[in-house]
Amino acid sequence: MLRLVLSSVRHNAGRYLATLVAIVTGVGFYTAVGFISDRVIDSLEGNVDAQYGNVDVAVIPEDPTTAEGAAHDPAELRISQDSVDRLLALPGIEGGAGILTGSVAFLGDDGRAFATGATGRLWVTDPDLDPLQVDSGEAPTRSGQIAVDRGLADDEGLEVGDDVTLLTLAGKEPATIVGITSFGDSDALDDGGTVSISEADAFDWLNSGQHEYETYYLRGSGDQQDLVDEADAVVPSGFRAQTGDDFRDDQRETAGTFGNTLKKGLQAFAILALLVGGFVIYNTFSVIVAQRLRELAVLAAIGATPRQLKRSLRLEGLAIGVVGSVLGVVAGFVLTLLLDLVLRVTGNSLPGSGTTIGVANVVGGLVLGTVITVLSVMIPARRAARTEPIEAMRDAAVESNRLGRTRGLICLALVVLGLAATLVGTGIATIGLGLLAFMAGVFVGAPYIAKGGARLSRPLLERVGMEGRLAVDNSIRNPKRTATTANALLIGVFLVTLVAVAGNSMKDFAVGEVNKLQSADYLVTSTGGTIDPTFVSKLEQVPDVSRVAPFRREPVTIDGEATVVSSGDLGDLTAVANVRASAGSLDDLGPGKIAVLDTRPEAQGSAVELSTGSVQDQHVDVGSTVALEDNRGHQQDFTVVALIEPSLDSVQVGSLLDPDTFDSLFGQVAPTVAFLDVDSGAQSETKDAINDLADLRPDITVQEGNAIGQLIGTIFDFLIKAVTGLLLMSVVIALIGIINTMSLSILERRRELGLLRIIGMTDNRVRRMVTLESALIAFLGTLSGLISGLVVALALVLSINRLSEATISPSVPYLELVGILVLGVALGVLAALVPARRSTRLPVLDAIAAG
Amino acid sequence: MPSASAPPVSTAARAVDARKTYGAGEAAVHALAGVTVSFPEREFTAIMGPSGSGKSTLMQCVAGLDRLTSGSAYIGDTDISQLNKTQLTLLRRDRLGFIFQQYNLIPSLTARENILLPMTLAGTRPDPEWFDTIVRTVGMGDRLGNLPSELSGGQQQRVAVARALVPRPDIVFADEPTGALDSRTGIEILSFMRRAVDETGQTIVMVTHDPHAASYANTVLFLEDGQIVDSMEAPTADRVLDRMKRFEG
Repeated sequence: MLRLVLSSVRHNAGRYLATLVAIVTGVGFYTAVGFISDRVIDSLEGNVDAQYGNVDVAVIPEDPTTAEGAAHDPAELRISQDSVDRLLALPGIEGGAGILTGSVAFLGDDGRAFATGATGRLWVTDPDLDPLQVDSGEAPTRSGQIAVDRGLADDEGLEVGDDVTLLTLAGKEPATIVGITSFGDSDALDDGGTVSISEADAFDWLNSGQHEYETYYLRGSGDQQDLVDEADAVVPSGFRAQTGDDFRDDQRETAGTFGNTLKKGLQAFAILALLVGGFVIYNTFSVIVAQRLRELAVLAAIGATPRQLKRSLRLEGLAIGVVGSVLGVVAGFVLTLLLDLVLRVTGNSLPGSGTTIGVANVVGGLVLGTVITVLSVMIPARRAARTEPIEAMRDAAVESNRLGRTRGLICLALVVLGLAATLVGTGIATIGLGLLAFMAGVFVGAPYIAKGGARLSRPLLERVGMEGRLAVDNSIRNPKRTATTANALLIGVFLVTLVAVAGNSMKDFAVGEVNKLQSADYLVTSTGGTIDPTFVSKLEQVPDVSRVAPFRREPVTIDGEATVVSSGDLGDLTAVANVRASAGSLDDLGPGKIAVLDTRPEAQGSAVELSTGSVQDQHVDVGSTVALEDNRGHQQDFTVVALIEPSLDSVQVGSLLDPDTFDSLFGQVAPTVAFLDVDSGAQSETKDAINDLADLRPDITVQEGNAIGQLIGTIFDFLIKAVTGLLLMSVVIALIGIINTMSLSILERRRELGLLRIIGMTDNRVRRMVTLESALIAFLGTLSGLISGLVVALALVLSINRLSEATISPSVPYLELVGILVLGVALGVLAALVPARRSTRLPVLDAIAAG
Repeated sequence: MPSASAPPVSTAARAVDARKTYGAGEAAVHALAGVTVSFPEREFTAIMGPSGSGKSTLMQCVAGLDRLTSGSAYIGDTDISQLNKTQLTLLRRDRLGFIFQQYNLIPSLTARENILLPMTLAGTRPDPEWFDTIVRTVGMGDRLGNLPSELSGGQQQRVAVARALVPRPDIVFADEPTGALDSRTGIEILSFMRRAVDETGQTIVMVTHDPHAASYANTVLFLEDGQIVDSMEAPTADRVLDRMKRFEG
């Protein structure tokens, strides 16, 4: 029996090609995703060791969200040199490394800034704690010396010995490149490039001369926990000490979680692609069984039992599945190498040093591919087992275009029940099951869609001529096959539509909610530098900028919680930005008085949670007393005279003090933040002008007032695009399915095609006939996917509205949907290219050959 | 187009030193080894010969379904060896008709649509009177709306005959038209073909191995090993059978 199976596979190799391609594509994608994710995970986890390998005690912010590198967080607390000195003086501590980063850029000879995304870093002098290696040259040790990372050097053509102008918070600074650095397997520690700055310059260039650090790492001898206990006593408020082991575990987990989530997500798409491949496999084997009916019948006649027939088909499936999966794993590996190569050629690189063949990925791919293939062959195998010996004597396979009544009833029941459950269901489970039932109904009913849709399109296609008419007739000759082919496409289009419609609806809702909270037009922040009067007047000179409200801001803790306190011209602030009191009055500010963010439950009614870094647990009210502590540990009590209504702007302000009190606490520091009010006018020109000003000052970041709304919109857009891109994978496999079905059907109809050509249908028209049929199948699959996607998306939105307070209005991206439809038909035409050419290459004389 | 005024002796199709070789060198098989033959207009010509004699190849090459290795074939005055694929298709569509052993109807088209298919493809309209005449002659008047799957083998072949005759082609080529039919139905089909020649001046070339079928022709050509070895005017089934027996002897 096995020999029969193998010879059959060999004999029918051409027919199995599409099946193989489907499996190889799916499995290849699956394993490639696995390989790449593992490599990224390994590398991210490995970087943790490279970066923090010798850390025994990590002094990090208490708020876990503000990890190292979050230099742009305006509310960031710093560790002062005093605290560091006390930490280093502890017994058992042998060395330490402070992390201080800031934005820097280079000024080119042409006066334009380059490498504007680079991060300046204080060079770590402790060799055990230094995360960077010096590849060539030496470490920056004296004033005016810097080192750049390998990537930056390559990209910008920088070399050791070059004299450059660095744009820093302190202004334009001349510097000499003395070394080229790298980090672990990769070039740079930071995304936009790393510029290492000597201790002599770093505090001036990155932190306005203040000797402060974002985080501090210590190494020492003895038990880590003992060291931590010691350190706890001198760790400044807002920070905590952690053992190096715990710290590394946390970092590794953060890095690994991201990688693992990514891997799972991508592999889900690969599995989806494989499931779509299942349709292709099912279809191919169905056709193969139909074509081999005579052969099977002869086998049955000479004594093969139904079980043997079934098993022979299943073994064929198994053989194809195993071969396809093995090829798929190989393809996955090759794909990974190719991707690596392409990235390398384009000047990028995958993280990690090399791709290792993970056993789990290989086994997963093999099992998945084989199982799906064997499962897809089940039904055709059962059909084969039912072959009657008498069928050997029949002339040709009788094509049935009859559809049973039960199918119709089941389809109707599933669709109606599914929609009903979705629309009135009260739990996620009911709604989910309802949607599943609805989709099952669509699948079961697909042959009706094929039949009905083809009939409806007949008048249009008949206008093309006889070939159009025949294309329609051919597609409904075996509506089940047409339906299975179209279903493969349906799944992909359904999901694309669902994601597009549901995603856009959610996006519009979320962005709308955020934009309801009014805010200033622009927020200009200086990290480390200041917004001096010169810069303010430059901003005011930009056309259409009507008012600039600069204010001073300092990180503090209030009642032990990290937050910021600000001071500025109240009239400007309330006029330009959305800063107003929800209780008490801002006019009451004065010595010993403070206004804090309103954290009472009733103030949190807005849909978006904005209370980051505000006074939380206890409810502060007008009249309460709060304890404020600054960076250097000075503490003072204040009486609350006003609560500030939470808004996008007031979060930037945090708490408010009157200018004199602010001066007494922090000295006469210059403003670091400003709100901008812009007349409605040439929006993009104003934006460009402001950004141009900011580009020459690396410390300055400009955010548009509705930045959060835009950010949310961008995230949604990105997700929708990414998911759509991944779903296209399944569409590609569906395309293979159409090619396959069309190829097999022209093989079946070779006599008919021969006849048409004998009695005068030109080759062009024959090809057009095949193309039209293919396009019709693709159109039906796309359209039903589109409609079911639309229905499900709308049902989902309605359910969400019903179950929550939200009123999401469905937004349908019509243009994209039309695009999808056009694309679907185009794919159909594309899929027909090969079968159409083959259709006219068959010998005409087949029509005459008897028997 | 056959015209009633054409002289009865002119040829509808002919082959000159037609050769068809499969393979090359030692292994070459000569399906046609230099055949020169004319098929006169308004006549019913049968081609006979044992299996492998080249009779089907001869018909296929003259009908433009297959190409000669050397020599030439003409439909009327057109040298079809000079035509490209599309020109050949159009020539078949406009000037030739075909009847096959397997009826070769398009399963999704009704009997009427099948009959009119060549004209639909050409974008021409049938002469309604002529259509009625043919349909009546083949006796399919009441089944025109049926699909092929609803017709018996004999009925399907009548539809195929009607399809070949309705466009009034210069020549109808028939390849074993009665091969798949029982003898009574076969006789009916042959009678229609005979009447088409006698009553409408149709030219028919038929390949057959059935002496009875051949007896309906005006002339029988005998092929053996790719060459014409004999011909017989006014054949009867017995005389043809006798002649065929000599091939085996």
